[in-house]
Amino acid sequence: MADLRPSEVRLEGNSWTPYLFAAPVAIYLILFQFYPLAQEFYLSFTSTDLLRPDDNPFVGLDNYAFLFEAGDLHNVLWITAIYTVCCVVFAVGFGLLAALLLDAPFIGRGVARALVTIPWAAPSVAVALVFTWMFNAQYGIFNHGLRALSLPFGAENWLDNPLLALPAILFTTVWQIFPFSSVVILAALQGVPHELREAAAIDGADRFNIFKIAVWPTIQPTVFMLVLFVTIWSLRRFDLIWLMTQGGPIGATNTMVIELYRQGFVYRDLGSAAAIGMIGLTVALVVTVIYFKVTLAAERAQGKR
Amino acid sequence: MTASPISHTLRPLAVLALLGIAAFPIYWMVVTSMTPSSELFAERPNLLPSLGQISIYGEVFRTIPVARWLWNSFVVAAGTTVFSILLAILPAYALSRFRFTGIAILGFALFATQMLPEAMLVVPLYSIFGKLSLLNSLFGLILANTAFVVPVITWIIKGAIDGIPLEVEEAARMDGCSRIDIVLAIVLPLIAPTLAAAAVISFFHGWNEYVFAQTLISSEQLRTASVGLASFVGELSTPIHAVMAVGVMYTLPAVIFYLFAQRYVVAGMTAGSVKG
Repeated sequence: MADLRPSEVRLEGNSWTPYLFAAPVAIYLILFQFYPLAQEFYLSFTSTDLLRPDDNPFVGLDNYAFLFEAGDLHNVLWITAIYTVCCVVFAVGFGLLAALLLDAPFIGRGVARALVTIPWAAPSVAVALVFTWMFNAQYGIFNHGLRALSLPFGAENWLDNPLLALPAILFTTVWQIFPFSSVVILAALQGVPHELREAAAIDGADRFNIFKIAVWPTIQPTVFMLVLFVTIWSLRRFDLIWLMTQGGPIGATNTMVIELYRQGFVYRDLGSAAAIGMIGLTVALVVTVIYFKVTLAAERAQGKR
Repeated sequence: MTASPISHTLRPLAVLALLGIAAFPIYWMVVTSMTPSSELFAERPNLLPSLGQISIYGEVFRTIPVARWLWNSFVVAAGTTVFSILLAILPAYALSRFRFTGIAILGFALFATQMLPEAMLVVPLYSIFGKLSLLNSLFGLILANTAFVVPVITWIIKGAIDGIPLEVEEAARMDGCSRIDIVLAIVLPLIAPTLAAAAVISFFHGWNEYVFAQTLISSEQLRTASVGLASFVGELSTPIHAVMAVGVMYTLPAVIFYLFAQRYVVAGMTAGSVKG
């Protein structure tokens, strides 16, 4: 996405054309994304009650100070970091494995490639509901399965146990989003030069080395791009977590977006909610900047070689 | 690739395991919906649906306004699709074909929308929608969803336009066609597969969306299926198999439709998003 490929087409005649083409979407996004964002920015410096949203006295940095001192912000940032990193590692990693598995020719490959995308097509609300049922302590299929294996587990209260709730949420999230990584990587794998693969095989390279020499360099930009997108999408994921645990038990799954929603809609404190939003956005921006720095450096290093 | 005998037996097993993991929760939703209440809380779970229980679907249809919820979701999804595609085509073309001051800002603005959580924007959007009398209307919900879909599909469509050789357009330019004519008559037919993919992506976003539908709509009549289904969370009076039946009615059409459409989505999407 970083490359805005400079176009070869020179503008002839009316130089307003690109602006006319871009204007509707620009106005639309300003109205429904960036103007509301600016309002949130302002709200974060005010003390505003959900029930009286037009009455917002200016309080400076009080909301931020409150969050950093009295609030649960350290825990929230920590949970968000664990959640995001695990989402990226497992969703992209599992997606990569699935893509490699589905890349080789076998009977029924087309059907398998279609079926593996099912989780991605399922609505989050339905996913949250069925996984909550599957994680049910007494009657859930997961615990039924554990008991059937006669393991010393099988009574776990997955979503109510502070140690297990986050892994359970992560499991659900990864189940839902790995097909996206898999599909995108699978497409990139079609670009791996056949000759390179064969040459490596003839040179006696084993499976892992073929991957390293022929496959990885081709799909690396795609995988890096996926890492960025899964990161920023995970930073803002709401539905699954909210519907399964509402951030609990005792804050074990309380990511930034969940905390934002709680501050706004449970404690009715729109100012603090907005402040969390701004902190979250800063995190996302920092991650993005680091990402581009790293990928640029990697490209330069490759270019020099 | 050299195929060892081990990979000959392991690969099918791994593929089956993968498909099992992917499909099981949906299967489980169907099984649960078709299990009699008495057996839901049994010592051993029923692993197969009891076909006699299919009547639960008729019952749920009569007692819960599922049809209305699904219809509302359909309206929102269809509207989001139409609006998003109409809005995305021209900026996608501009991003692909023109070099202009502000192109980087436009590109970054589109990307930046991916960082904004719906849960954050919903508060200011609520007050803006209140002033524009868009609260409690499916049309308002369509507008809110469109704002989140347009950036994604603009990038996808831009990627497809990048793939069209310029010569194709040049002949038409010689003949004196305007840019709009070129986009409509030449570019759009060539990127039809990508437009189909973009349509599917937009439709799914509208169909699945929850936060805005929950917040911007208060009328029971205008509830979408996502909000209707979520209303069962933590509510104990509706039996679990009835809840799962609603879940199946909401999920299965989407999944089946997607299984047929996924070929186009994958082809159309990879034309755009994968160029790192």
